[in-house]
Amino acid sequence: MAQFVKKDDDRDEEAEYSPFLGIEKGAVLQDARVFNDPQLDSRRCSQVITKLLYLLNQGETFTKVEATEVFFAVTKLFQSKDIGLRRMVYLIIKELSPSSDEVIIVTSSLMKDMNSKTDVYRANAIRVLCRITDGTLLTQIERYLKQAIVDKNPVVASAALVSGIHLLQTNPEIVKRWSNEVQEAVQSRAALVQFHALALLHQIRQNDRLAVSKLVTSLTRGTVRSPLAQCLLIRYASQVIRESSMNNQSGDRPFYDYLEGCLRHKAEMVIFEAARAITELNGVTSRELTPAITVLQLFLSSSKPVLRFAAVRTLNKVAMTHPMAVTNCNIDMESLISDQNRSIATLAITSLLKTGNESGVDRLMKQITNFMSDIADEFKIVVVDAIRSLCLKFPLKYRSLMNFLSNILREEGGFEYKKAIVDSIVILIRDIPDAKESGLLHLCEFIEDCEFTYLSTQILHFLGVEGPKTSDPSKYIRYIYNRVILENATVRASAVSTLAKFGAMVDSLKPRIFILLRRCLYDNDDEVRDRATLYLNTLGGDGSVVETEKDVKDFLFGSLDIPLVNLETSLKNYEPTEEHFDISSVPKEVKSQPLAEKKSAGKKPTALGAPPAAPTSTVDAYEKLLSSIPEFSTFGQLFKSSAPVELTEAETEYAVNVVKHIFDKHVVFQYNCTNTIPEQLLENVVVVVDASEAEEFAEVATKPLKALPYDTPGQTFVAFEKPEGVPAVGRFSNVLKFIVKEVDPSTGEAEEDGVEDEYQLEDSEIVAADYMLKVGVSNFRNAWESLGPDFERIDEYGLGPRESLSEAVNAVVNLLGMQPCEGTEVVAANSRSHSCLLSGVYIGNVKVLVRLSFGVDSSKEVAMKLAVRSEDESVSDAIHEIVAN
Amino acid sequence: MLLAVLITNSEGNILVERFNGVPGEERLHWRSFLVKLGADNLKGVKNEELCVASHKSVYIVYTVLGHVNIYLVGKDEYDELALSEAIFVVTSAIKDVCGKPPTERLFLDKYGRICLCLDEIVWKGLLENTDKDRIKRLVRLKPPTEF
Repeated sequence: MAQFVKKDDDRDEEAEYSPFLGIEKGAVLQDARVFNDPQLDSRRCSQVITKLLYLLNQGETFTKVEATEVFFAVTKLFQSKDIGLRRMVYLIIKELSPSSDEVIIVTSSLMKDMNSKTDVYRANAIRVLCRITDGTLLTQIERYLKQAIVDKNPVVASAALVSGIHLLQTNPEIVKRWSNEVQEAVQSRAALVQFHALALLHQIRQNDRLAVSKLVTSLTRGTVRSPLAQCLLIRYASQVIRESSMNNQSGDRPFYDYLEGCLRHKAEMVIFEAARAITELNGVTSRELTPAITVLQLFLSSSKPVLRFAAVRTLNKVAMTHPMAVTNCNIDMESLISDQNRSIATLAITSLLKTGNESGVDRLMKQITNFMSDIADEFKIVVVDAIRSLCLKFPLKYRSLMNFLSNILREEGGFEYKKAIVDSIVILIRDIPDAKESGLLHLCEFIEDCEFTYLSTQILHFLGVEGPKTSDPSKYIRYIYNRVILENATVRASAVSTLAKFGAMVDSLKPRIFILLRRCLYDNDDEVRDRATLYLNTLGGDGSVVETEKDVKDFLFGSLDIPLVNLETSLKNYEPTEEHFDISSVPKEVKSQPLAEKKSAGKKPTALGAPPAAPTSTVDAYEKLLSSIPEFSTFGQLFKSSAPVELTEAETEYAVNVVKHIFDKHVVFQYNCTNTIPEQLLENVVVVVDASEAEEFAEVATKPLKALPYDTPGQTFVAFEKPEGVPAVGRFSNVLKFIVKEVDPSTGEAEEDGVEDEYQLEDSEIVAADYMLKVGVSNFRNAWESLGPDFERIDEYGLGPRESLSEAVNAVVNLLGMQPCEGTEVVAANSRSHSCLLSGVYIGNVKVLVRLSFGVDSSKEVAMKLAVRSEDESVSDAIHEIVAN
Repeated sequence: MLLAVLITNSEGNILVERFNGVPGEERLHWRSFLVKLGADNLKGVKNEELCVASHKSVYIVYTVLGHVNIYLVGKDEYDELALSEAIFVVTSAIKDVCGKPPTERLFLDKYGRICLCLDEIVWKGLLENTDKDRIKRLVRLKPPTEF
């Protein structure tokens, strides 16, 4: 091992001489055979382990066989008494992470070390054992670990505590038994032991609010030695504050004085943690905020980039919720725009954009223009988003902000950046009518020189929707027709569609549009030609100025009303015969997205493409879905669809939830099923429902699901008949039945034969609230008066002893399923009485209003007066019945 | 969680790469992202002067020490301030092992000991020891002096 001889630090010599030069996995594995030598050479063994570590740290991986071989060889090194080597052995075992069947070979050596008189052997053995152990071994060594937690040597205690934090993820029930020892360790004089113990104790007790609160109370009074532990304590204290503020809205905020005191701590990380905790308090007042903002402002001019970053990041967050509180820092922020660190500069700019006032917009834009040229695209996108929000906040400033966006649109940039700008312009056009014409022209200019086909086609589509509605639609035609001449086939086809839209919507332009479309008939791409032919024929291409009929417009430009995926599949399956393709044969059932896609789908609304969905879209979607199923098409108008109720635990083999659809005479259960096992295909999936505890319901139809492949949700339905207009309730037990077929994961093909199987689901219920739609009223008093006292029913009820008044109010609101009005569902802390106003629409489309008056006595007995007004006497009675039962 | 400790030479070649709780398929992305971050920002930075960045809700604190660049990536409680505490421990430990801000050669010569130090400092994503003298003794399996 000549390479390991110490060299002097001559740079020239080094460049050609690395101790790991030409290192190769195979050779190192060969070298590892020295571990088996009867006469161990500790120095050489250490060098080989170093090489193994080097390989692992370079991202190299060992196969199972290689790792096992090395691991077994390494275990021989326990024979050596060399301390340096032993330390290396501990490390390499952890890095190799042997499998559970191999672990056994080292456990006895490690157990011996764990009881060693040498403290550091103990600490290391604990760390290794806890890294490689499983539950059964853990119970064997638990006794030693508990002792180690309270060991007087801080290294041993810390090793056991940190191990505990990791083990809590895999063996929570064991670690939770250590709580007394951990509690003792929290009082340790060693700073790090206290830090680790506090972290573990909190994790053990995180679901026990009272215990956390007690822990925080005692520690905020006592001494916390390390700044790291102090930070943890601040976090836990703010958690306690958050939870207690739900019950206690009046009076002083608990622990605020403690947080405020931490702002004067000597460690910067504690100051920041406290400042952040204060700024994030629920309903923080400006008096509470001021001291935190003041310290953060001081850090804005710190010489250390980390502190400037931390300060501006925190203030940026505050700017979202309390922009006025941050305005004092604006001067310091402005100087950060030129900060060398681009992250800091971007945060400063976005904060300024949030806090700036209308008069300062122009000046700010000037500063940003210089800044934009030298930051990366990802920062630019953040700035673009902030500018869009600013523009929506100050619509009068749209001119300068729109100009800014169009200027940066012309500069160099990647797709994501350009898309962010285009999206922003589109949103501004939609929300600020005055900005429409100039915005459209900016987009037109952009597509004159746009390298991204996707953006060009999206903009063309948008122009087709918005352009014809402007005062002078003709000025956009030139830009659109240029695309037909200059661009690739995809863009040309889009441009043809856009031209046709102008033709259909603006009669005066029609003759000229037809001339342009006729030129497209000679395009060398068939899609472009086809589109031109279609539009010319349907719009009446003979050149006469006639109004395009509504159904032609709907056919050409309306939405297809069927999922595109389904259309694609149907078209692929269609074989050209005498019979024409029938679009009405395409199923309208929406196949939900696979799980993976769902997770990745962003929440951000996209500006281009589909118009924003209306709030009722889920109901609409359900209605369409149900009406497309022949068995249910006679059920009439859908009254209500519930939110999905889970019928399986999280992370089981099959995930099933149910949506309850209520009709006048029927109830349909829609079971949304997901198969989470890649090796299985389920067929003929049905839910067998036992309605013996729901006497008024009779099953009338079942719609099975043909196939349920892995990770692609599907639906099966069961429909029941019930007496018309009667709010029948009941409980249903559900069993999922199916034929399961094995799938070969490599080919994805299922076997031919399957086996019948079933899977027990949770029960579902139809309750009174299912017959009530949550519909609010803007002015309850007026609505109440206008309904009049004719069908008013008033009665009083005793609700028995309750945990709190607020809990009783919630229970009644949930029972009735009505919409609380005017914020009356919130009960003031410590109040003895409360009034709550509810509104809703009962099945049969009957409007209902409810006034609830609650009172609570010293023994927590709650009494309630219920006054109902509705358009129908029997409905008022029905509401009382719900409560009485 | 302290998601990653990455040490490279000044050209951006990896010397040490330790990930915690980062899926295998994302590691390459992180590696190239960090190396590019260093290439863009570490020119002319003084020894141990900390740079900071954030990317997709994680924080990155990085610095130069001699001829090696050191990057720490963290999220949640390991924010920029906790990371600067941790990177301070890492740099002090390396300086201690090497006797000075290391050249790449010196770093590689002391590779095994540096790995041991990192093992004492970060335990699968959690900060374990923060005192350089204690770390120095622990890698030699000596008990801490203050005890």
